[in-house]
This record gives sequence, structure tokens and C-alpha cells, in this order.
Amino acid sequence: MSEEPSKRVMRISWGPQHPMSGQIRILVDTDGERVLNIIPDLGFTHRAIEKILENRNVVQGVVPVERMVMVDTANNALAYVRAVEELLGIEPPKRAQYIRVIICEVCRILSHLYGFGLGAESGGGYPAVFLWSTADREPFLDLMERITGTRWSYSFFVPGGVYRDFPDKIKDKFLKTLSYFEKRLETYRRAWFENKIFEARAKNVGVLKPEDAIRLGAAGPSLRSSGVSLDVRKNEPYEAYDEIDFKVVTLPEGDSYARLFARYLEMVESVKIIRQAIENMPSGPYRKSVSPFKRLPKGEAYARVEAARGELGVHIISDGGFKPYRVKITSPTLRNLYVLSQLPKISDILLADLPVIMYSFDPWYLDADR
Amino acid sequence: MKEEVEKELVEAIKSKFPDVIEEAEVLRSKRISVTVKVDKILEVARFIRDELGFDYPISAGAVDYIKEKQFQVIYYLLSSKKKVVLMLRVNIPRDRPIAPSLTPVWSAMDFHERETWEMFGITFKGHPNLTRLLLPEDWEGGYPLRKDFKLSSKEGS
Repeated sequence: MSEEPSKRVMRISWGPQHPMSGQIRILVDTDGERVLNIIPDLGFTHRAIEKILENRNVVQGVVPVERMVMVDTANNALAYVRAVEELLGIEPPKRAQYIRVIICEVCRILSHLYGFGLGAESGGGYPAVFLWSTADREPFLDLMERITGTRWSYSFFVPGGVYRDFPDKIKDKFLKTLSYFEKRLETYRRAWFENKIFEARAKNVGVLKPEDAIRLGAAGPSLRSSGVSLDVRKNEPYEAYDEIDFKVVTLPEGDSYARLFARYLEMVESVKIIRQAIENMPSGPYRKSVSPFKRLPKGEAYARVEAARGELGVHIISDGGFKPYRVKITSPTLRNLYVLSQLPKISDILLADLPVIMYSFDPWYLDADR
Repeated sequence: MKEEVEKELVEAIKSKFPDVIEEAEVLRSKRISVTVKVDKILEVARFIRDELGFDYPISAGAVDYIKEKQFQVIYYLLSSKKKVVLMLRVNIPRDRPIAPSLTPVWSAMDFHERETWEMFGITFKGHPNLTRLLLPEDWEGGYPLRKDFKLSSKEGS
């Protein structure tokens, strides 16, 4: 026990195998059970999407952008498409804006369900919850297939609107799915969020205070569960979000439980948003024609979107060519991984808590690597 | 009435540093762009954080203007109270790509500056740990996001 602390530090290399850590390696310095340092080692899935986008015209560019987060493709595509539209100075038709809101919120639910399943798996050996949440994604995937043609990775948003019209005859089926899903959400709450094992595992673990969350640049639900009410959908409303009534979910605690529970509450809000969007969707055109074979205007556009994991920014700089001169993508996961790497300095972390803490940030490493 | 907050912020920066600001403008609502001289960026950054309330760092990146022979480093910042995005830009010569690191002001610029360093070869002076972030440790292929980087696949520019 009288040893120097430096001699007792053990460095554990965690990952990059897929189960648990994902496509990332994390170096963890430990002193006994205590975690002293977390050093993320990224880049295992780096595809240079920013460079690829410099070599694609703006219509082709939607496809590589969607490859950043496969469970949340619509929000990624929307950020890019909105930046292009701002550059071109066009506004999509109202109906397209409502269709976009519906698909983006479905993607948020799909993404949060996946994150919820993984969070549950990490937080108490409950594989059943992961299987439930995976099964409950199915009805939404079927609906998306009906609207867009594919279950995921839709490439459905195009500059100027959406690829094809929303089929009005599936509205009833959509609303029925939402009612079914609300019942399932109630089951999740009783079975998992009021579960003593999970509470013991996640409450007061990895606490992030509001001032630290802002200073370290945490994004999305990880920021809002520390009591900071920043949501792009409210702060600078895009598409039809200013015509829809919804709450920004904030929780004061800032612990792992709050981060996971905030995502659950966001699913509840998303259901409300989708219901309103379906009921209020105007009729009319769904796309304005945008030719990919025209030169882009010279200039720049920086679009922000609230993706499932947090704020996603796409900054397009054009020099007047057919393709963007430079595209900078700001992804939420890279920022949340920085918060994770700083967490041992502001909060006591035990090695056994690390999986819960990591999954409470809902990281998606392909998003960080781009 | 429109964009009043944005205009006020631009005026505040301009009047505080009349000689240092190369350009300061409102791009549109909620977007400000400020270009500063490279040697005074830390002073401006501290003023922007402490006096104007840009406390929430978003990210940092760069653009390679190969014809003008310069790099532009862009820092993206948000004011958590005013909800305005500020793009803090600094132009540096392409043949001497060195800029001061803003990690002393916004520590969260750490990862973004590391990425910009390995993708563009821009050295950030004062960065605590300027090492590879996304590229392999033994990468020797140059700086991928520079415009003169040769692509080996069919995509060749």
C-alpha cells in the first residue's frame, strides 16, 4: 500500500472489437478500481467523407453523408441538404417540410431505441430489453419502407424537397403504430427505468454538471440531461418545427441515468411531434427541381440540425464550381467523446461503471470518424 | 429589428479591436463571421468568451485556399444565452502553417485542432497533445484534406 501511485497505475486497452466498445479503442488508466484517465483512440472507421463530398455534386453528396450514422440517416442527410438549399437560396415546399419532420423524428425514435437497448445491456445484464427495443423498431422500419422504399439509409431527402410524395393512405396505419408504440414506452418505463438494479447501476454515476457540459461542449441529450436547454429545433427552428408544439427535454441530474432517461423522454416527445405533423400536413407539391448539372453559387452556408445524438453542423464553402469546394461536418459523437475523456477529471469513476457511462452518451463511432 | 443581437455583437468586437479585426459581418440571422489577425487571436478569443458569452465550443476546421496560397482556420462557437453561432476565422500563409492553439480558451477544441493538424498540416502552437486522432499512427501519405493531395482511386481530381 505504500507504493507510489504512479507504479500502481495500470493501462487497460479496451476494444476495438465490436461488442461493448464498438469500433473504437479506449485506453483506460486505472488505479485499482478507480479510473484516472480515458484516452479514446479513434479512426478505425475513418472514410474521409469530407474529402469524398468535395468530389461529388450536391445531389450525389446525400449518399456519403448518410453513411455517417446508419440508424439516424435522415437527420444527417437533412443537415447536408439544408446547407445546400441555403447556398442555392431555395426553400422546400411546406409539404416536404412536414414529410421531413416525420422521417427525422422516426429516425430519432429508431436511434434512441437502439441506444436504449445498448444502454440497458450495459447497465445490468438485461439482454431482453435490447431484444424488445430491436423488435419495436420493426413497425417503424416497415412504415419507412412504405414511404421511402428502403428500411434505412433512405437517400430520400434531395435539395429542393423529398424524393417522392408521402402516401396519404398510410396515415391511419402510422397513427396506429404510434399508439402501439406509446404502450410499449410505458412498458419500458415500468420494466427498466423503475428497475432497482438499473437505478443502482446508473444513478449518480458519471455526473456532468451544467457548467462542465457547456465548457466541454457536450452535445444533444447528453447536454440537456445536465440541465442545459439547448436544442437546435427550438433555438433556430428549421423545416416545420416552429409550427409544432413540443417540449425540449431537460433533466437536472446530469448522471448516466438522466442521460439514458432523457432519450426515453425524447421518444415520448417525438411521438407527439409525428402525430401533429401527420395531422397538420398540408397538401401541395413536395419537391422543387434542382439540377445537379449547374454551377453552385459562390459563397458559403452553415446549417445546423438536431440529430439524435445532438447538434450536427454542415458547413459548405463553394467557389462557384459544380462541386462544393469544402465541406466541414461537425458531428456530435466526437464532441461527446471529448467529454467522456475529461470525465475522470471532474467525477469519480469506477472501472465497472465505465460501460454504463459510455453507453449513456450513446456514442456512434462512425459519426466521430466520418 | 431583424438581426439586432447579431449586429450588436459584431459592433462590440469591432469597437474593441479596431486594428486586429480584418473582417466582421453578419452572414444571416444567428450567424456571425469574424476574421482576425493571427497574432492577436488569443486576445480576441478571450474577449469573445468572457465578455460576449460565447461559452459553448462547437468545433474547428480549416479550408485550403490553394490559389491564394493560404489556409483559413475556422472555429465554430455558440453563445448558450444568445444562441448565436460565431465563426472565428484566421488566415495563415500556406508555406508557414502555424497558428496559436485556442485550447487555453476553449479546452474542447483539443480534438478538433488535432484533426485539423493531421488533415491539413497546420501546427497549433501551445496545444497540449498534438497527436494523430483519426489517421493511423504510421500514416505517411501526406495531408488528406489539402487540395494538392493526390487521390489514388478513380476519383482523382
